[in-house]
Amino acid sequence: MADSTIPVHVKAEVSVRVNPVLSSISRVIKFMGIKAVVLFFTVVVGVYLTILVANMGGYVDQIQRGQIQEQIATQVLNDPSFKLLAADVRAQRIADITRMAEHRAGLDQPFMVRSVRFLTNALSLNLGRALYMNSDGGSRQVRRIILERLPSTLVLFATENFLNFFLSIFFALALSRKYASFWDRVIITLSPTSSAPGWFYGLFLILIFAAQFGILPYGGMVAAPPPDTPINYFLSLCQHLVLPVFALLLSTIFGNVYAWRTFFLIYSSEDYVDMAKAKGLSSRDIERRYILRPTLPVIITNFALALITVWQGAIVLETIFNWPGLGRLTFQAIGLFDTPVIVGSTVIYAYLLAITVFLLEFIYTLVDPRVKIGSEGRRV
Amino acid sequence: MKTNKLFIFLSLVMIASMLLASCQPERIVETVVVTEIVEVQGTPQVVEKVVVVTPSAEAAAPTEEPTPEPEKQVTRRGGWLDTIVIVEEPSGEAGVSRIESGELDAHVFSWDDPELFASVQANADLGYTTFVGSSDELSFNPVGPTFDGTGKLNPFSVAKIREAMNWMIDRNYIAEEIMGGLGLPRLFPIVGGFPDYARYIDKARELEAYYAYNPEKGEAVITEEMQKLGATLVDGKWQFNDEPVELIFLIRTEDERLEIGDYISNQLETIGFTVTRNYKTAAEAAPIWRQGNPNDGQWHLYTGGWITTQITRDQGSNFEFYHTNRGMTNPLWQSYVVSAEYDEICTRLSNNLFDTLEERDELFRRALELSMLEGARFWLVDGLSFSPFKPDVKVVADLSGGIQGADLWSYTIRRDGVEGGSMTLANASILTENWNPLGGSNQVFDQMIMKATGDQAVLADPYTGLYWPERIERAEVFAVDGLPIASTYDWMKLEFVPEIEVPADAWADWDAAEQRFITVGEVYTSTDTVTARTKMVVYFPPDLYDVQWHDGSQFSLADIVLAWILNWDPAKEASALYDESQVPALLSFQSHFKGIRIVQENPLIVEIYDDAYSLDAEAMVNNYATWMFPFYAFGQGAWHTIGTGILAETNSELAFTQSKADILQTDSINMIGGPSLEILAKYMDQAASESYIPYPSVLGQYVTPEEAATRWANLQEWYRRHGHFWVGTGPYYMDKVFPIEGTVLLKSNPQFADLADKWIDFGTPPIAEVALTGPNSIAIGDEVTFDVEVTFEGNPYPMADIGQVKYLLFDNDSKLVVIGEAEAVEDGLWRITLTKEQTALLKAGSNKMEVAVVSLKVSLPSFAVVEFISE
Repeated sequence: MADSTIPVHVKAEVSVRVNPVLSSISRVIKFMGIKAVVLFFTVVVGVYLTILVANMGGYVDQIQRGQIQEQIATQVLNDPSFKLLAADVRAQRIADITRMAEHRAGLDQPFMVRSVRFLTNALSLNLGRALYMNSDGGSRQVRRIILERLPSTLVLFATENFLNFFLSIFFALALSRKYASFWDRVIITLSPTSSAPGWFYGLFLILIFAAQFGILPYGGMVAAPPPDTPINYFLSLCQHLVLPVFALLLSTIFGNVYAWRTFFLIYSSEDYVDMAKAKGLSSRDIERRYILRPTLPVIITNFALALITVWQGAIVLETIFNWPGLGRLTFQAIGLFDTPVIVGSTVIYAYLLAITVFLLEFIYTLVDPRVKIGSEGRRV
Repeated sequence: MKTNKLFIFLSLVMIASMLLASCQPERIVETVVVTEIVEVQGTPQVVEKVVVVTPSAEAAAPTEEPTPEPEKQVTRRGGWLDTIVIVEEPSGEAGVSRIESGELDAHVFSWDDPELFASVQANADLGYTTFVGSSDELSFNPVGPTFDGTGKLNPFSVAKIREAMNWMIDRNYIAEEIMGGLGLPRLFPIVGGFPDYARYIDKARELEAYYAYNPEKGEAVITEEMQKLGATLVDGKWQFNDEPVELIFLIRTEDERLEIGDYISNQLETIGFTVTRNYKTAAEAAPIWRQGNPNDGQWHLYTGGWITTQITRDQGSNFEFYHTNRGMTNPLWQSYVVSAEYDEICTRLSNNLFDTLEERDELFRRALELSMLEGARFWLVDGLSFSPFKPDVKVVADLSGGIQGADLWSYTIRRDGVEGGSMTLANASILTENWNPLGGSNQVFDQMIMKATGDQAVLADPYTGLYWPERIERAEVFAVDGLPIASTYDWMKLEFVPEIEVPADAWADWDAAEQRFITVGEVYTSTDTVTARTKMVVYFPPDLYDVQWHDGSQFSLADIVLAWILNWDPAKEASALYDESQVPALLSFQSHFKGIRIVQENPLIVEIYDDAYSLDAEAMVNNYATWMFPFYAFGQGAWHTIGTGILAETNSELAFTQSKADILQTDSINMIGGPSLEILAKYMDQAASESYIPYPSVLGQYVTPEEAATRWANLQEWYRRHGHFWVGTGPYYMDKVFPIEGTVLLKSNPQFADLADKWIDFGTPPIAEVALTGPNSIAIGDEVTFDVEVTFEGNPYPMADIGQVKYLLFDNDSKLVVIGEAEAVEDGLWRITLTKEQTALLKAGSNKMEVAVVSLKVSLPSFAVVEFISE
């Protein structure tokens, strides 16, 4: 056993000694390759599971058939031309219409066969056509349906996420400097409020600021009719953003500040921070170099993951604020069993998540010198 | 420590304030159902002018601030309002709150939440209108007596048990308690507020009395029939083959049917059944009850629901649809078996196979009886819906479809006593599907806006379901002797003739390859005379061609003839627009259509020959409304706006219908937004450069190249100004549309053909108010009289407007003993005289006299009841 391992060890050491740069490149490439394969496999499994779940294992086919039959029944019932037909002729016509509709919907093929096609299309980002839903502009292309809702979602959730992120960091740092102060206690007291979702606060905010005082709109993205000029449109958009952003902030910020502040407190008590203090460095330098920098990987991870969750929107909040975002879109798609839209939304999220995770591996090495890609001991 | 207490106190205050804020003051709930009507108005209109040719809809001077001028003679054309803003508000609660705060003027959706209704009723600052919109029924699985799939007993395979279920269910409880007053008890496959119910009110009331809630009677019948099936009652539970008789109840969860299902389950459990409540949404339940094989035994009962969006005057086909295997092709419907008698009656009522209306009356009355004896479903309630609005809003609402379903909504909406102004309306959804006249959105949300931007040949009476001429002047219907057709209004002349010959030069079909109409002489090559059962002659007003499209284009006969061509062309394989989904409908149409002919072009007169007919002559014109004025199934379209779509579809870049778009893997045409616009604009420019006329071999006879060039120039200017292709001739034009924001801005069309007050007479629906007075006690064998006072808003109801005043006399066993018609005395007063022979039919005890008043002005009958003692 020992004999067989020694030569390998020696070989490796020789190789490292001969060409360390090549070795690093090889290690990075190998790591990237394995990571990419693993992430892609995860995406494939995740997307296929989504296809199976969204189609309820093929049960949605039956639902679709039912809807087709109902549509046709209504059409025939309301068409006086069908009334005069002999019963057998009418039945034949109805059967013809049904057959054509089922063919167009692809229901004349087994679900499992179609599920593989759904998967390959989804992975190649050929998101296909929705079953029932149209984009607001009238297209059945899933790509268009999603892209049309993306800007409004981005505006709302990116605004909230940025505000939330930077305010949380700012207040957390401030509080970490004044442990057990009055405001520190206030935040600790308010932190349980983050257990309630944004829509919960949204309802109260609407009641207070829209219904009671009438100073802010109930919902929607802009005034009706939308202002003609870009400036007025922007101002109207800002006005409509206030309540939903505030609702989202209320539901998250106290918890976040509390969590970050605790996080910073822990890092503030590290030996090297005490050492820095002993050296007489300014508190600003201490925060920047000895507290913020080691926590950067965590901060960046949180920020990146928060950014991609923007993609999912927020179903209830968008509904109560009548905000035309991706959350409502997904909710509608689920209600209608419009599986291409559900799968389309999921596959993009899966790719975003995979890419983010992939990129974070490299970002960690940039912000934290202790981390090396592919190294056994210090991989993050 | 002190600080901690302060924080705890502050936290508690915050939580308490949230709880208090969530508690709204309780409101008094009244269950009075009132049907009201309304109108509205708005903001200064922007001056815009189409400079290319003729002044367009937008060329009018703006109206300044609204000024009440009720007495002034109306000179205004188009809509009463200057602008209407339509927005999306999916929440009823938020909608009402926004009306209260003044942000909205009305929410036109059909809401049916009892709590919301109660809050609206309790608010004196809100108005509302109610209407029939939906119905709930109880469907039975009729196979058995045992299921092949499970071997278990299905009690509902026995018609008598199904019938007995009527006595087990208290429909008044459902309507009043479960639905909070937003329901009306219903038994039959016909809607309670529609004309057929009023027509057969005597039979309906007789059956309703017979099937009134009587659980003891229901239990007795069910017990007897269960024993016949071999089931036994053990410790209060029915058993079959030593197992409890389990009933699987599919209960829909989205609406009041959840509580209805629970209520019926409770009733069944009280008489010994073991009920498994299977709660499902529509999509979850459909594969089980609709597509599944009923013989698998996966369900016994299902809470079904149906929707009606307009008053249907002939519901004769409902029996066949709901109770026979010809209704639908799925396994459940194929399991329906009825007696030969009921089957024949269903067929005859559905296909109008009777010679006189009296014969139909007989068939219909028998069908009502048999539907209760044999049907595999019976009804529970008609649901009432409501739409809230500000009190100063005036608008006509359809008795079935509400505001959004009324043809006349846009012609009548205004603010009380005000001309001009603006109004903001909300609907639960808007712009839900693509807009194009041939295959666009049929969603009621979108159709409502289309009705405002388009004008039609005839418009539906919101209270009777009959039709009034809008862009036609009058019509004549000739029918062969014996056909059961009647006419009601003066604009329609009905005449019966021995035979109707179809002229050889009438157009009977379309040759898509040669792009020409095929005449009757070419289709029917036999030497025999071609005949039809009906002939319709439609006369148009002399100013027909003065009508202007919103883009300023002059109306043309080509706009009408294009609608005729498009009836055939997309279903012909040789056509560039061929769409296989259109074929079955065309084949059905061709089975009865005989021909159409232009008798005279100016003023336009058109004849249509057909074997199909309706019971109302006015409805026959409506059947061909699209042919008379180009308001297609999905909105209005001019030959040039549709022409852009024709070019796009011909080049396979877009398609009118979704089915064709699916085949081409492209988008269906959306004339108001999205990627379609760019493609349509491209073909508009191409058409403009070529002075394109679609189907030139035919339409070229009615359009000159110069006229075509003008139209394309107008459309280009319209598109430049408004950014869409939705051009109509209606009282409002679509100024701006914002699909993502969910907002539509409509502006009044000052070039509209009619004055704004044309339909102002449609105010509150004249539902008769009835008071029945008579003696408190009578002597059996004596003659007695009862007075029936019929009024509306305190004024006597004119005799000429009343169809019938029927009375029904029930004895102390609730058995109907006398049916008769009251005698008209004067306006507002009818008299019932019971003869000595009739009172001799009563026994000592408490009796009931019921009167049903059927107005010619409104389809909803009115009732009054008086009880008296007989000795």
